Amino acid sequence: MFQMGGGVAPEDQLDKSETRRVMLRVMRMAAPFKRTAYAAVGCVVVTTSATLTAPVLVRHGIDAGIRARDLFQLNLSVGSYLVITALAYVFGRMQYVFLNRTGESFLRELRLKVFAAMQSQSLAYYDRNKAGVLVARMTADIETMGELIQWGLLQFLASGFLVVLALAVLFILSWELALVVLIVFPVIVIASVKFQRDSNTAYLTVRERVGQNLGTLQEGIAAVRVIQAYAQEDHQIKRFEESNRSLFDSHVRSIRISTWYFGLVELSGVVATALVVGIGGWLVHRDTVSLGTVVAFILLLSSLFDPVQQLSQLYNGVQSAAAALHKLFAILDATPEVDEAIDAVALPNRGDIVVNGVGFTYATGTTPALQDIDFTVRDGERIALVGPTGAGKSTLAKLMSRLYDPTTGFVTYGGVDLRQGTHASLRERIVVVPQEGFLFNGTIRENVRLARITASDTEVEAALERLGVLAHFERLPEGLDTEVRERGTRLSAGERQLVALGRAALIDPAVLVLDEATSNLDPGTEAEVEAALERLMQGRTTIVVAHRLSTVQRADRIVVVDQARIAEAGTHNELVALGGKYAALARAWEKSHSV
Amino acid sequence: MTVTAVDPDAAAISKGGAEEQARAQRNLGWQLLWQVLMNQRRALVLGVVIGITWTAAKVAVPQLTKAAINQGIERNGALLSWSLFIAAAGLATGLLTAGRRYLAFRESRWTETLLRERMFAHIQRLHVGYHDRAQTGQLMSRASSDLQQVQQFVVMIPITLSNVSQLFAVTLILAFTDWRLAIVALAPLPFINVASRRFSNRIHPAVLAVQNKQAQLASVVEESVSGVRVVKGLGTESVQFNKLRKEADGIREVSLNAASIRSRFLPAIDLLPSLGLIAVLGYGGHRVVNGDLSIGDLVAFNVYLTMLVWPLRNIGMMVALGQRAAAALVRVQEVLSTEPAVQSPERSHALPSREMATAVGAVSFDDVSFGYGEDHLILRNFSLTIAPGESVALVGATGAGKSTVVRLLLRFYDVVNGRITLDGIDLRRLDVHELRRNVGVVFEDTFLFNDTVRNNIAFAKPDADQATVERAARLAGAHEFILQLPNGYNTPIGERGFSLSGGQRQRVAIARAIVADPRVLVLDDATSAVDPSKEHEIRDAMQTVMKGRTTIVIAHRPGTIALADRIVFIDHGGVAAVGQHRELLETSQRYREVLASFVDESSVVD
Repeated sequence: MFQMGGGVAPEDQLDKSETRRVMLRVMRMAAPFKRTAYAAVGCVVVTTSATLTAPVLVRHGIDAGIRARDLFQLNLSVGSYLVITALAYVFGRMQYVFLNRTGESFLRELRLKVFAAMQSQSLAYYDRNKAGVLVARMTADIETMGELIQWGLLQFLASGFLVVLALAVLFILSWELALVVLIVFPVIVIASVKFQRDSNTAYLTVRERVGQNLGTLQEGIAAVRVIQAYAQEDHQIKRFEESNRSLFDSHVRSIRISTWYFGLVELSGVVATALVVGIGGWLVHRDTVSLGTVVAFILLLSSLFDPVQQLSQLYNGVQSAAAALHKLFAILDATPEVDEAIDAVALPNRGDIVVNGVGFTYATGTTPALQDIDFTVRDGERIALVGPTGAGKSTLAKLMSRLYDPTTGFVTYGGVDLRQGTHASLRERIVVVPQEGFLFNGTIRENVRLARITASDTEVEAALERLGVLAHFERLPEGLDTEVRERGTRLSAGERQLVALGRAALIDPAVLVLDEATSNLDPGTEAEVEAALERLMQGRTTIVVAHRLSTVQRADRIVVVDQARIAEAGTHNELVALGGKYAALARAWEKSHSV
Repeated sequence: MTVTAVDPDAAAISKGGAEEQARAQRNLGWQLLWQVLMNQRRALVLGVVIGITWTAAKVAVPQLTKAAINQGIERNGALLSWSLFIAAAGLATGLLTAGRRYLAFRESRWTETLLRERMFAHIQRLHVGYHDRAQTGQLMSRASSDLQQVQQFVVMIPITLSNVSQLFAVTLILAFTDWRLAIVALAPLPFINVASRRFSNRIHPAVLAVQNKQAQLASVVEESVSGVRVVKGLGTESVQFNKLRKEADGIREVSLNAASIRSRFLPAIDLLPSLGLIAVLGYGGHRVVNGDLSIGDLVAFNVYLTMLVWPLRNIGMMVALGQRAAAALVRVQEVLSTEPAVQSPERSHALPSREMATAVGAVSFDDVSFGYGEDHLILRNFSLTIAPGESVALVGATGAGKSTVVRLLLRFYDVVNGRITLDGIDLRRLDVHELRRNVGVVFEDTFLFNDTVRNNIAFAKPDADQATVERAARLAGAHEFILQLPNGYNTPIGERGFSLSGGQRQRVAIARAIVADPRVLVLDDATSAVDPSKEHEIRDAMQTVMKGRTTIVIAHRPGTIALADRIVFIDHGGVAAVGQHRELLETSQRYREVLASFVDESSVVD
């Protein structure tokens, strides 16, 4: 009834040319569904016309039938009315079907396109855009449009059409009485426009306060232990009451706005009837119009006033859908930064990784995250990247696996520039295993298979077996078919890492890039993860972003990254002997072990 | 999806007991609503009175129109005055409809607001054991979407009452005008009510199915975005895309299903009144021609019929809304009727005052046994005495029961056996608030409120002055970094504010405990979230605040353990050994093992 759609924040409101561009683009995107779209519009035209024909038939019945005492004319009106109603019903049903089929197909297309566009973006894109915002684009923004399609779009079309048609019919029936109606009509229109604006503002306030109130509520529940530990229940209750009351106040403000509007609408409707009856009656006396016309006018008034109300309420919905589309198109238009070259070739099976004169600056940053990086990782070598947080070691690892492209210089694998390699061959040769074992919804088996979707059950099991962890998972009551649930909360942090390693083993790449976890595991699992990792690294080129000395000591060579440059490189013993930055790090580590 | 109490099928199958219980619960739910509404009875009654008056004015309009046509137009009567009457009635309906709407919406929002406050207050007082089982999300939906269902029902109460009166008035008028025509004209209308009700019942699950599918799609998007490092690292974009396509297809399917339900009902509901209008024109027209009815009556019939459309639809909706509200009320009532398990005794003992007693803060666990479930005990015959001012480190493997000791001391739970005393008084004899004001805890996971740094520190004493807050911050070693925040002590922190590092959060939490100025200070693993290179800063802060205060420290790292006067090694739910760090290292093999496992964990170079 009241407030469908939702508000549009001022900064999201589109100007005319933007709206036009959005609409044109929607038309282009909806082109494949244009047959159902035309059918829907056709149905709308038929049903709306039928609605308007009814009062005209009543007029005919009264004037030509009842007043002229011509029963044939009366029966003709009744019969036509029945036919019209049946038509309106059939086309009414069809318009729902066609409109929703068009709309939902369009939304499906939009969902797929936007998601594909998001996925084609490089990691840098995800660094810049907050996860919550991206998720909102795919959910809330598209659902806004879904709601509009289900409830509003049809009415919006029909209402607009109805107003125009009703005005036309009024003028055809009697231009004198039509002018009378036009005295009241502008009042409704102006009131509706004002209502639309005010209710939008009020709605935005309500929405904001609802959010705040939910935030306070959630905080009060999530922090209940702290609150009770400090005996602060009463204070928190008072705090919640404040936010709750401010939400209530915003509700009341929005109620006031709708109160005067709906009162005025009702008043205008009846006043218009009074005018039509008064002036119409006078015109009947002068034989300018017939009584049937007056009755038809009275019946038609609601066909004229109701749609204006509906238009004003739907306008917000249409506007917010346009704003949502505008944002979605921005995602579709963003060019992927790490794209496949047109003349891309498959990377060689094995080879050295050469980093040559590489520099990198984040799109959001001003100072380079890396500069003048030159070094070579030989085939089969184990490299540990160490250095303080923010020094650039993770960035370096990402450049070597082409999660980012360097700003200057280049990275080659087996002599081929990574940017010249196909995506498919790149991810077969070089696999990145991120720090925390991130699990997707589904079973353990599905989570491992993710790495190579065509792998058979045996291949998945073999991959886990190679790491020596198959038995561990088979010990679970449901074995590999255990549902991991909500981000793997059913598994321990160590088990999640094992799954992540299993994925890498399934791909069986030549190069492994590991971002070591900073968080701690319980000692038992820790050993198992270490062992699995060791097996995974066998016979592969490995680049580890290391946080643990034990890992560092196992590396063939250590590269110390500091302040965006390579500060030192060499074996553990060499670097300790050098007495530089690494030696200091190693000393600090030794110290935190002793009491 | 939440389980609703109203499930006709389930009730029919199990019959008897379950059905009766569900009914009893529903009754309790309605009682709750009744009790709340009675407090707003004045405004609600006013709303109903205005609504019924509105009906009278509204119903008068077609009568006046009829009179205007019959007497004013057909017989050249006082057309102007009839028109003015209509306009006057219009003014009345305009004002009254506004009043009805305002009261109905305001009062329903007020009901929602008050119920939400009641729930929040109750949730705040419910024992920790309840919160362990309840999910935050579920309690949130009780206090938000369930109350919304109630609000949607309450708003309809005055509106429905005036709709019902309108229905009666119109039926009576039509029957008196021409009962034969009334029967013919009104015959199709009950179907509007039936169809609306049926539609409401059918569309509800369909809409839920759509929301469900949307949630599934959202979770695919969410995991793809949060897990983008995995997706990119393994190059598995197509796997996620296929998952998404499946969900997008699913949404399309259920949405089209909902649309087909709408297509079956809505056009029919829209057009049923037309059948009445056709009957009026046909049958009524014949009666006018025969001279049994005036043209004015015929028009009035038309107008009255259109007037009945909304009330009939609303009443149909009302039934469905009532069912949903009943289910929501049951769930709300369930929360409100849960008694807090931990409560202050009726007559509580007071702790010896700090001025009178020379040394306060003596803690004693006498033969305490406790478990969270019924079958498994975490602490078994646990005994420990801590002297006033002493500092004790609790050391033990994960799950040994260290944190449980702290929770029991706060009386988050009551012991199963034995007793715990503070300054010689059993905790169960103390006022819960007094107890907790005297035991300050720094939890392992620091919770920061969405508020300023100042208010987060002054949490235990909201009206503490700036000097107190700053003193606490200095002691906790937090003053310096707070001054460097954009707005100093007034910088908003928490989830929506400025984000602090793990060490900074801990220091704010320690400052919070200092402001509380407790007799007993508990530091539950306060250094675990801190980078080892920063650990010494926290350690310094801890050392300062422990001076002269009974302190219990739960720690993993040797450096932190060494801060305490005495170490209590907990193993298998009891005290396994007590002594100095060196002594324990020498005498206890198990202590060495547990400690060694911690050392491995903290081996971080960065």
